[in-house]
Amino acid sequence: MSAQAAQRAAVRRLRISVRAEDPALLAELRRIIVEAGHDVVDAPEEADVIMHDAQAGAEAGFAAIKETEWRALLTPREIEVLSAIGEGLTNKAIARRLSISLHTVKFHIESLFRKLGARTRTEAVAKASERRLDV
Amino acid sequence: MPTHLLEQFSDALAAQAADVRGAVAAIRLSERRHLTGTLWRPDVAVASEQSLPKRDEFELVVADGSVVNAKLVGRDPGTNIAALRLARPVALPAFTSAEARSGALALAFGADGAGGVSVRMGIVNLAGPEWASSAGGRIDRYIVLDLRLARAEEGGPVLDAAGARLGITTFGPRAKVLVIPAATVERVVPALLKDGHIAHGWLGVALQPVAVPDALHSQAGQSSGVMVMSIVEGGPAAKAGIVAGDIVLTVNGTPTRSLRRIATHLASDSIGRKAELRVIRGGTVLSLQAIVEARPAA
Repeated sequence: MSAQAAQRAAVRRLRISVRAEDPALLAELRRIIVEAGHDVVDAPEEADVIMHDAQAGAEAGFAAIKETEWRALLTPREIEVLSAIGEGLTNKAIARRLSISLHTVKFHIESLFRKLGARTRTEAVAKASERRLDV
Repeated sequence: MPTHLLEQFSDALAAQAADVRGAVAAIRLSERRHLTGTLWRPDVAVASEQSLPKRDEFELVVADGSVVNAKLVGRDPGTNIAALRLARPVALPAFTSAEARSGALALAFGADGAGGVSVRMGIVNLAGPEWASSAGGRIDRYIVLDLRLARAEEGGPVLDAAGARLGITTFGPRAKVLVIPAATVERVVPALLKDGHIAHGWLGVALQPVAVPDALHSQAGQSSGVMVMSIVEGGPAAKAGIVAGDIVLTVNGTPTRSLRRIATHLASDSIGRKAELRVIRGGTVLSLQAIVEARPAA
C-alpha cells in the first residue's frame, strides 16, 4: 500500500460520537456506525464527527431567560476577548488589539471556557449569546 | 359497558380522542409536512409561533377532512403564540379550561394531516410558577409534560383527564415538551385579534451579564450588572445617551442582577414611561433617563 493510500484508508475510518435521547435510537446508530467500519467514541472531543438525532441536538426551542450564576459571571475584559473570538480573530490578533500579552489572552480564554462550560471557541460564543438579552 | 378497569380506562381515552377531534387542525406547510393548530374558537386557530413559517395565508385540514383557508392574524414570539383566522367557522365542541397540576394525567393531541388526530399520553411532569421567556414574554405557568411529541404534533391541544383544556404544546430546548397554558392563550389571543401583535417595552440594547470590576464595587454598590453589547441606532437607549460598553447597574432602582427582572420592567404597560438607568462608564457612575418605546415589529 502506498503512503497515500494508507493515509486515505486511515482517514476513512472515522471516530464518531453519538448523541441521542432515545436509548433504542442510540443503540441502532452505534450498530450502524460499527457495521460501516467506523469507531464509536464516547468523548465528543476525541471524535471526528458528532452525530446526534434531530431532536436531541436541537438547542433551539422556546426557552426561559437564562439567569447567570454570580460565579460564572464574565468580566468586562473577558467579554472583550469573547467578542474578538466571535469576529474570528486569532489569539495573536486579540493580544495585539487589546494590547495585552499572548499569555494573558490564553488566561482569559481558559477562564471563559470554564465559566461558560465550553470546549471550543465556537461553543463559547454560542453559550455567551444564550445569556444575552435584547430589550 | 366493559367491566375490566383497564378496558374502561382505554375506552375513556379513545372517547376523549374522538371528542377533541373537532378542535385539532393540520396546518399545511408543504405537500408532505404539516404542523398542528388548535381551534380555540370556531373561527380562530392557535399555533406554536416558533415553528409556523412566516407566511400570511395557510391551508388548514379540519376534522371532516375538508380544507379551510386561514389568514395569519398575529404572532407573539414572547409567548410563542400565533393566531390564524379561518375563512369559515367550523363545528367546535365546547371546552372548559383548567389549571395543570403536577402528576395529573395529560393527553396531547396532534393532527394527522387528514382530519384525524394523533394522541400522546403522559403526566404533568412539572407545573411551576409564572416565567419569562427569553423572547420577552410572560407565561402564566411553567408546565412540562412527561411525554415525547413529533414535530408535526406541536401546537396541538393538551387536555386533562376530565377533558378540560390545559393549553397547547410547544417544544422547549432539547425537545422538552412544554405547555403554553390556556390562561396565556386566553390573554394573548384577544390582543392578537385586536392589534395583530403584543406590545413589549423596548430600550434597543443587547445586554450581557457582567461582573463589576473590583475597583468599582464600593462606588457601584453591587458586584454585578449588565454590559451594553450593542445598541439600536435611534432607539430609546441611544436617545438617552447610552453607549456600547456601559455597564447598567439598575433600572428604576432595581439592580440588574436578574435578566428576568429587567424584562418584567419592560412589560407592555411600561411603554411611554421613564426608565432611570444607573450606569458605569469610564470608571464613574452616572444616571441616564430613557423613555421606553414599543418594540418595533421584527
